[in-house]
Amino acid sequence: MITSRHALQRLVVALFALMMMAAPAMAGQLNISAAASLKEAINEIADKYAAQHAGITFVKNYGASGALAGQIENGAPSDIFISASTEWVDYLMDKKLLDASSRKDFAYNELVFAGSTPKKVGGMKDLVKLDKIAIGSPKSVPAGQYATEAMQKSGIDRQLALKLVMAKDVRECLAYAEMGEVDGAFVYRTDALQAKKAKILFVVPGNLHARVTYPMALTMSGATNTDAKAFFAWIQGGEAKSVLKKYGFVLK
Amino acid sequence: MSLSHQDIAAIGLSMKIAISATLLALPFGFATAWLMVFRNFRGKVLLEVLVNLPLTLPPVVIGYLLLLFFGRNGWGGAALKAAGIEFIFNWKAAVVASATVGFPLLVRSIRLGMESIDRQLLQASRSLGATWHDALATVILPLSFRGLVAGSSLMFARSLGEFGATIIVAGNIPGLTQTIPLAIYDYASSPAGTSMALSLCAVSITLSVGILLLHEVIGKKLEDRDSA
Repeated sequence: MITSRHALQRLVVALFALMMMAAPAMAGQLNISAAASLKEAINEIADKYAAQHAGITFVKNYGASGALAGQIENGAPSDIFISASTEWVDYLMDKKLLDASSRKDFAYNELVFAGSTPKKVGGMKDLVKLDKIAIGSPKSVPAGQYATEAMQKSGIDRQLALKLVMAKDVRECLAYAEMGEVDGAFVYRTDALQAKKAKILFVVPGNLHARVTYPMALTMSGATNTDAKAFFAWIQGGEAKSVLKKYGFVLK
Repeated sequence: MSLSHQDIAAIGLSMKIAISATLLALPFGFATAWLMVFRNFRGKVLLEVLVNLPLTLPPVVIGYLLLLFFGRNGWGGAALKAAGIEFIFNWKAAVVASATVGFPLLVRSIRLGMESIDRQLLQASRSLGATWHDALATVILPLSFRGLVAGSSLMFARSLGEFGATIIVAGNIPGLTQTIPLAIYDYASSPAGTSMALSLCAVSITLSVGILLLHEVIGKKLEDRDSA
């Protein structure tokens, strides 16, 4: 009886000690919120940086840029925000949640239409022949916003209205195309290069939508974190650029 | 409170899918409950576990399995394709997803109704020459009516809320498969969509409260009638 009570006490003490350890924010920890399309590139860049800088660990949060902006607005821990469109950086700037002086363009991309449909698809006009098309939900996914813009400018948005499957981010969009459950999906060129089954069917002409731009900035808490500032400067340098280039991002 | 035409389409679609799912599940639910209450057979426990599984299984598991089975590369998908039926990413898939997830609730209520039937009434009907299907139609069906109504309303309410399985098999297609929960999810992922999401949340709460009230009132009414 006594021994079991002792065991219980020890357990409680141990649990309490564990909680105390986990409570304070870890020194050298960087929280990055980045557009889903940057996943592999940022993973590799972070690994490279961590290998050269002992004691730095990364917490990476990938998702739709709009969803990430919402999380930051609601207080999610984040030091650096990299969006796939200017809209969501502007949004957080307006709310004074990002450090305006740190804003830089990280990279650029191209919008493509990818899929594994046997139907002949060579341009926007051919999309009306398809049954199902995946796009990122334009409310929060920049790839979906660019795609919506392109469909409107091509005058086919009404004909496609009931064919659009909304994905929560551009990677889910790509997954739909990979599974073959949709004829094709609007994704970035860099996403399509990661695909195994889906092929790029055509590149969406750049004059149909705003340029795919990845602006980035330090958050207000990131701007006071020297580790975050050092990393933020480093990813504008040559090593990070070569990784971006490798994954097919456009740098100018 | 503002609802766009897309939101109104989502509300209509939710209704359509929930009603279809309930109607689709009713005959199966009735048959399953009847088997469990009035029949003894091997593997009854297994059937019981299987029927109740959707109650505890994550809906996303159900959705994913349905997708694998009815998808382009599944057996069910091949059969549907041969029959020329479009299923995945169609509102029909949402109906099947909702029907599967809500099924245990339906069976439970019907079972409770059937278990309250006096066995002597059944024996009497049989000894008066009623065949088993006569007894089913003239004794069991009317006497388990309360359970049927209670189960249907619960299942309808559950179907209105179905999210996890639906988003996987039916996708999120505005005007075609985007039900109320899916539309809320869509708004909730964007910080600019808060007020729209809240409007739909209000609709969702109103519908749920309404149905549950109706469920209680009908239950009470039928109870009074039975005891009278």
